[in-house]
Amino acid sequence: MHPADSPLVQSMVKLIVHRIISAIALMAGLLTVMFAIIHLAPGDPVQSMIAPTIPARVAVELRHQFGLDQTLPAQYGHWLWNAVRGNLGVSFSHQRPVSDVLLQFFSNTAILALAAILLEVALGLSIGLAAVRFHGSLIEKAVMDASLIVCTLPTFWIGLVLLAAFSYSLGLFPSSQMHSVDAEHLSTFESVGDLLLHLVLPALTIAIPGAATIARFVHPNLLKVRREEYVTFAWSLGLSRRRIFFRYELPNAISPVITLLGLEIGTLLSGALVTETIFAWPGMGRLAVQAISARDYPLVMGCALFSGILVITGNLIADILYNVADPRMRAAS
Amino acid sequence: MKTIPSHMIVSFRCNVYRFVLTAVTMIACAGCSGTKDRAARDREQVVVAIEGDVDSFNPLFAEDVTAGEINDLLFPGLLSVKFKSADGTKEYAPLLASSWEYENGNRDIRFHLRTDASWSDGARITSRDVRLSYTLYGDTAVASVRQTSVEGLRRTPDGRPDVARAIETVDDSTVIFHFDHPYAGQLFDAGLPILPAHIFENLPRTGLRDGTTSRQPVGAGPFLLKVWKPMEEVRLVPNGTSRLPHPGKLSEVIFRVVPDYHSRLMQLRSGEIDVFPYVNVDDALELAKAAPQFEIVSLGERFYDAINWNNIDPLEYDRSHGKHIQPHPLFGSAKVRRALTLSINRKEIVDTYLHSYGRECIGPVSPLFRWAYNDSLPPLPFDPKKASELLREEGWRDTDGDGVLDRNGTKFSFTLKVPAGNQLRATIATIVQRALRTMGAEMKIEQVERSAFWNAVGGKQFDACIAGFSVPLQMQLDEMWGSDLERSRFNIPSFRNRRADEILAGARRVARETDYAASWKEFQALLQREQPCTFLYWLNDLVAVNKRVRGTNIGILGIAYRAEEWHTEPVVASGR
Repeated sequence: MHPADSPLVQSMVKLIVHRIISAIALMAGLLTVMFAIIHLAPGDPVQSMIAPTIPARVAVELRHQFGLDQTLPAQYGHWLWNAVRGNLGVSFSHQRPVSDVLLQFFSNTAILALAAILLEVALGLSIGLAAVRFHGSLIEKAVMDASLIVCTLPTFWIGLVLLAAFSYSLGLFPSSQMHSVDAEHLSTFESVGDLLLHLVLPALTIAIPGAATIARFVHPNLLKVRREEYVTFAWSLGLSRRRIFFRYELPNAISPVITLLGLEIGTLLSGALVTETIFAWPGMGRLAVQAISARDYPLVMGCALFSGILVITGNLIADILYNVADPRMRAAS
Repeated sequence: MKTIPSHMIVSFRCNVYRFVLTAVTMIACAGCSGTKDRAARDREQVVVAIEGDVDSFNPLFAEDVTAGEINDLLFPGLLSVKFKSADGTKEYAPLLASSWEYENGNRDIRFHLRTDASWSDGARITSRDVRLSYTLYGDTAVASVRQTSVEGLRRTPDGRPDVARAIETVDDSTVIFHFDHPYAGQLFDAGLPILPAHIFENLPRTGLRDGTTSRQPVGAGPFLLKVWKPMEEVRLVPNGTSRLPHPGKLSEVIFRVVPDYHSRLMQLRSGEIDVFPYVNVDDALELAKAAPQFEIVSLGERFYDAINWNNIDPLEYDRSHGKHIQPHPLFGSAKVRRALTLSINRKEIVDTYLHSYGRECIGPVSPLFRWAYNDSLPPLPFDPKKASELLREEGWRDTDGDGVLDRNGTKFSFTLKVPAGNQLRATIATIVQRALRTMGAEMKIEQVERSAFWNAVGGKQFDACIAGFSVPLQMQLDEMWGSDLERSRFNIPSFRNRRADEILAGARRVARETDYAASWKEFQALLQREQPCTFLYWLNDLVAVNKRVRGTNIGILGIAYRAEEWHTEPVVASGR
């Protein structure tokens, strides 16, 4: 049988096509709502850019240059038409093409998000597996109770505690930015180390509550899976412990985590606002807030479009992985 | 019950240990390199912490204070300004212009340019650069934020500045500014940053905002822009060819964006940053007491906060699109406004929150301008009894016993708008609320997002608001206090007074600023009588500077003013 004819590939293709169609409708709705909200909110981008003492004719000229003297539907139509052709306009505040600004800040956010996700998965799985290892003991109860508390903690609080402890008090990690002042004079190796050093606290801030959540998913799921008949059957077949764990127990136990991560990756890549602000990380979250404060309409719309695409892509990837991991989903789709 | 096999746990642990070990090693290496950097930095770098990003490196469009200061280091003007704190006057020194003289009854100024000054790309600076710069500043299509600075130049018959005829280039090193009439700010207006004509003249005027010229600016000042990473940092390096006035002494000046206040404070303490602008009063006091390696410097009393009572009825103003103006039902009376000021204990606010770094404010003329400041006017006292009397005289009584004053069915109840994000103003709002409640006035507090706040305030759609103002170096206050509300968009309380207008207009005609001192003193007395707003306090904005940074001129002209003189010396009693 040709690989393309396999049920798995066919169901995947069907899923992706279906999701892309619904994503387009979703994006259109999101962008329309976003455009309406940002334009109807009080505030004026021109007023944010120039002092009130500037002559009114300067403001009039700027509104004309930015196309703000057109009707809202005309502005929206103009933006949408340009966006479809890949032109997101020029940021009022950055005075550069929006796509350039987004790409620059996205790479910073991507570094933070990927580090946070890796830490989160590593910590979450470790804690969850450790709790299973000590099932029935006080350690299990303590670990799971602690994880419940941690996953309810707000991110800003965790960030501030980490800052106070590891930066302000112990001085182990820098408190903000991506690089040291003299990073440009460092060798490549030192540069990577410098980045890692700056990455530790913000990545941990994002990862800690996420890891607690993952642990709380993994722990009961794994315990439940172990009681399933197919696991007992596998044992009766005489399969090795390693094979049973990796082939039957773990994939079934972590399938909800895949959905969780899919959602989180999209959200994190579109900017971890609180963490980026606390640690002065120059990422998408801070960019979006700054754009909204400055009423930088093209940049706000660019951020919305970019974030929307990332969240939808994240969901799509999660669905695909979920389908791969769980045969029942394939059958359903 | 089955458990995870022990050999798998061991294997998993091993991987985790390897991962942690690698990460720790990398981080330790980075830590070592960081220490090395800091030692290197001690020699010739200075790091200034800034809260927000820099908006532009093009003087045509730079609106942000930090951007303005940096642009001054990249693009020098014809003259440099000095502030004489002894009498509060300004003094001008040669920069690009080696000398100048007044002509035509002080209507014209002839500038002689230096012949040895060049741009960083090697092109010579000539009068053509001066002319093009002012043409761009004045061009409506460019929409420069400095357009008001060309309004004093010779005008066209329809009253618009005629820059083409007003800036006359005699030869490469001589340029004449033709002004409409002599006025005190002629030299000030002639001191705008000069731009390279050979870069700007061929660019489309409406496209200058796209940032092309801002990313790698060709300058002539003591520094050059080396790196601009938005939301991260700005790095300046000395411009080796600069003669305006000379290359910076430091190897780098770095403006680092650190949005969080506490992070800035910690970085100052740890030595990561050297200059921390706008440090809170309490932290400044603590630093001055416990950290001898830091010096606390004041930017001077250029900023004041006031409670602006809307003198006009916002509903009527909105309904008539600004054509029909009538007094505000609560704050239309000067007696009521005076009563409100008398009921607020401004001295206590200063003593409690600003300590020795603030003082009560009596009007919009800063005490720094000694020649114009009316020191014979004492601040209005805190006198709730007198305030109650004044309100009664105006017919405000609690007739229904609900604890709130009323008059002809109108309750003395209003909303105070406060821009979000300023803790001091939010605290002041609650103090004022408490004070007014004892007088029988009901005040609600509404914190408003900054952009929405200015939208409401600019459209006169508020009853009262707390706002802060910066006093211009050139004593021109008509945009803040002129009765023409369309033109005077900074006239937040919508104060309208014929005598005030006469004084404000006269200030534009006087040839020497100090000759107008008596009129400015009268203006302050008039405002104290009318109380269009309750002036609260002058803020002494503070800057913490590591003492290893020497040669600073931090003050009323800014933080980076004359940064070319900055140099570093090791501090013996280091707190690092």
